Amino acid sequence: MAANAQPTDAQPKITLVSSDNQKILVDRDIAERSVLLKHMIQDFGGETPDQDIPIHNVNEVVLKKVIEWCEHHRADPPATAEDDSDNRKKSTDIEEWDQKFMQVDQEMLFEIILAANYLDIKPLLDVGCKTVANMIKGKSPDEIRKTFNITNDFTPEEEDQIRRENEWAEDR
Amino acid sequence: MMKRAREEDDSADERPVKAFRAAGIDRLSRLSDELIVRILSFGSVPALLNCQRVSKRLSRISVDSQLWKAAYYNQFVLPRASRLSGIKSTKNGGTSEHLCYSSRASKWLEDGHLVKKGSNTDWKQQYRLRHNWSQGQCAVSEIVVADRPPEPPLLVMMHNSMLFTADSISGLRVWTSQDPRQLIASIALMEPKTNALRLPTAMALDAFEQSVTNQRVVLGFEDGSFTIYVLKREESILTPLFDHPPSSNGMLSALAYSSPYIMTMTEDQMVTLYAFSEDETLNGTLDPPRLLYSLRSHTAWPPVSIAVRTHANGMTAAIAYALPTHLTGWTVGIQEMRLSSAGELLQSRLATAAPGSTLIKSQPMSMSYSHPYLLATHSDNTLTVYLVKSTTEALSISAGTRLWGHTSSISGAHVGMRGKAVSVSKIGDELRVWDLEGGANPTLRRRRPSNGDMSVRVQPLRASAEDEAEDTSTAAQVPSSGLRFALDQKFDEEVVNRGWVGFDERNVVVLRERTREGRQALVVYDFT
Repeated sequence: MAANAQPTDAQPKITLVSSDNQKILVDRDIAERSVLLKHMIQDFGGETPDQDIPIHNVNEVVLKKVIEWCEHHRADPPATAEDDSDNRKKSTDIEEWDQKFMQVDQEMLFEIILAANYLDIKPLLDVGCKTVANMIKGKSPDEIRKTFNITNDFTPEEEDQIRRENEWAEDR
Repeated sequence: MMKRAREEDDSADERPVKAFRAAGIDRLSRLSDELIVRILSFGSVPALLNCQRVSKRLSRISVDSQLWKAAYYNQFVLPRASRLSGIKSTKNGGTSEHLCYSSRASKWLEDGHLVKKGSNTDWKQQYRLRHNWSQGQCAVSEIVVADRPPEPPLLVMMHNSMLFTADSISGLRVWTSQDPRQLIASIALMEPKTNALRLPTAMALDAFEQSVTNQRVVLGFEDGSFTIYVLKREESILTPLFDHPPSSNGMLSALAYSSPYIMTMTEDQMVTLYAFSEDETLNGTLDPPRLLYSLRSHTAWPPVSIAVRTHANGMTAAIAYALPTHLTGWTVGIQEMRLSSAGELLQSRLATAAPGSTLIKSQPMSMSYSHPYLLATHSDNTLTVYLVKSTTEALSISAGTRLWGHTSSISGAHVGMRGKAVSVSKIGDELRVWDLEGGANPTLRRRRPSNGDMSVRVQPLRASAEDEAEDTSTAAQVPSSGLRFALDQKFDEEVVNRGWVGFDERNVVVLRERTREGRQALVVYDFT
C-alpha cells in the first residue's frame, strides 16, 4: 500500500468529534483503520466527507490515544474477516511498541478496549484483550479479584465446590 | 510517644489507599460477556479454571463452550494433525499456519462428530476426558461378575459404555460402564430343546454404526453354533435374532461382526464368512445367511485376531496371527480377503511383518488388530506395534516397534480409537495407555507434547467424598497407587488379570480374578 506511506499533508483529512465535543483532525486512511468509520465514509459515496463525524461513545483523551495507535499501525495490512473468526492467533504475545502503548492505568486500558470495540478496530481490541489476559495469567482467583476489584459473590462452600470439580487439571 | 505518633501517621497514610482499593471500580465485570469471552480466549486452561472461581459472572463466562472448544482443538486436535503425515505438508517444524483453528468439521479429524453435535457438546467435559486420558487419571470401581470362575473363561467385550459378558452359568449379560454401574439386561444361554447350558467360546459386537439403542452381539459356542442377539436399550432386553446350527468343524474360537457380515473362526483355523440380509423379518428375527466364503488357514498360529471392515462396495475380512520363523523366532502375519458386496471373492492376499531389528523369541501372548494398528503382547514385559497398510494394490506390515514401559508380564492389550492402546499387566495393578499414532517413528515422536514417552501409567484418583461407597470395591477409596497400593490390597499373587482389557471413550475395563476366592470382577477405570 504505497498510498499509506504518503506524507500526511497529502492526505484528505476528516474531522472527528469526541463525546466531550472536541474536534480532532485525522488523515482519512488513519480513520479507516476503524471499520465503523470506514463504513461511514463509504456511506458518503466514497468521497471524503467535509462534515464532522461525531464519536458519541469516546472522549477526547481516549480518542487521541486510539488515533496514536492507528498512526503507528497505518501501514499494517488491513484485517480480513477470517482473521477475526477462526484464524486469530491465540498467543498472548504483544509486540514491543504495543506493550509500551498499553502501559496505562486500568481505567484507560478498559476505555481503549471499549473504544476499539465500538470503533471496530480488531487488532487494537486484541492488543487490549491480550493485555488483560496477561494480567489474569498465573494469578490465583483471589489475586485476580484484587487486581480488578471484583467482589467475590461465592460462598466459601460454592468456591470450594468449583475448586474440587476442577481438581483434575491440577498438576500432580 | 514519638513512635506511637509515627504509627498513627503511617496508618493515616495507608487508610486512603485501602479506601481507594475498596471503592475501586470493577471495570472488568462492566464489560459485555462478548468482550470478556474475547479476553479469556487469550487465556490458558489454568487461567480459565481460576477465573471460574473469581465470581459468579466470570464463572458463567469461563465455562463458555466456545472457549473450551478452542482449548480442546489447540491441545488435542492440532498437535495430532501436525503429527500425522499427509495433513502437514511443511517439513521440519514449519509453522502450522494452515492448520489454524477452524470450526469446520473437516479439520477435526475423528473428533468431527463432536463438532457436528453442535451445541450439545460439552467442550469442557470433553477437554477433561482427553486430559485425564493423557495423564492416566481415573477413578476405579468394580463390577463383580462371578463368584466362581466359569469354565471356559468369561468372555467380555465393550462398546459405547456398555459391557457385554458371556459365560455358561450366568448367560449373556450387559452392564453399563457409566455411573451407576449396573446390569442392563441378561439372557440365559440354553439349548432350546434340552435346556442344557451352552458354552460360549467367542463373542463379537457389531462394529457397524447403528442406532445406539439397538446393539447387536454374536456369541459362538463350543459345538460350532452361533447366535445373534440384539440389545434393545430402551426396553433393556436381549432377544435372539438368529440361531446358526452346530457345525462339524468344531468349537468357534473367534468371531468378527460388522453388519451384515459375520466371520467365524474355529479352533483349527477354519474361517467362514456369512452375509445376512439387511433387515429383520416381521417376527423380529434374521433370515439365514448366505455362506460367502470358507477356507482353512494352515499358516495361522494362535493368538489370532480377526476383523471385518465394510466398505461402500464390499468388505474386507482380515486374520492377524502369529507366525514362527526359522531364524528370528516369531513374527506376525495378516491374511486379508476382499469381497464384493455380491459375495464374490476379489482378492486374497498375505503379508508378514517386514523384518526389523526387534527379535521376538517366544510366541506372542495376545494380539489385537484394529486397522491400521496391530498390537502383540509378549511375556518379556513388552509389546510390539505394527502398522498395517492395505490399499487396492498391496498389503504390507511395517517392521515391529517394541514398546517398553511395563515392569511385569503383560496379560492383555487392546488397540482402538485414535491409535490409542491399553495394556494391563498380569499381576499387580499396572495399566498403561499408549499413544501409537504416527507410529513409533522417532522424528514424529519428538513432536509429542509429553516428554516423549509413548505411554502413561494409569493412576487411580483419590475418590472424592460424594463417590458412592461400593462395598465390593476396594480400589476406589484408596488414595495410593502402584506397588504400595498393590501391597496394601494384597494384590500380589492374589489377583490375576485374565488377559482381557477393553476401552471406549470414557472407560477402561479390565477383567480381574482373585485366585483365592475365585471371584471375578470387572474393574472399571473411569476417566470422566
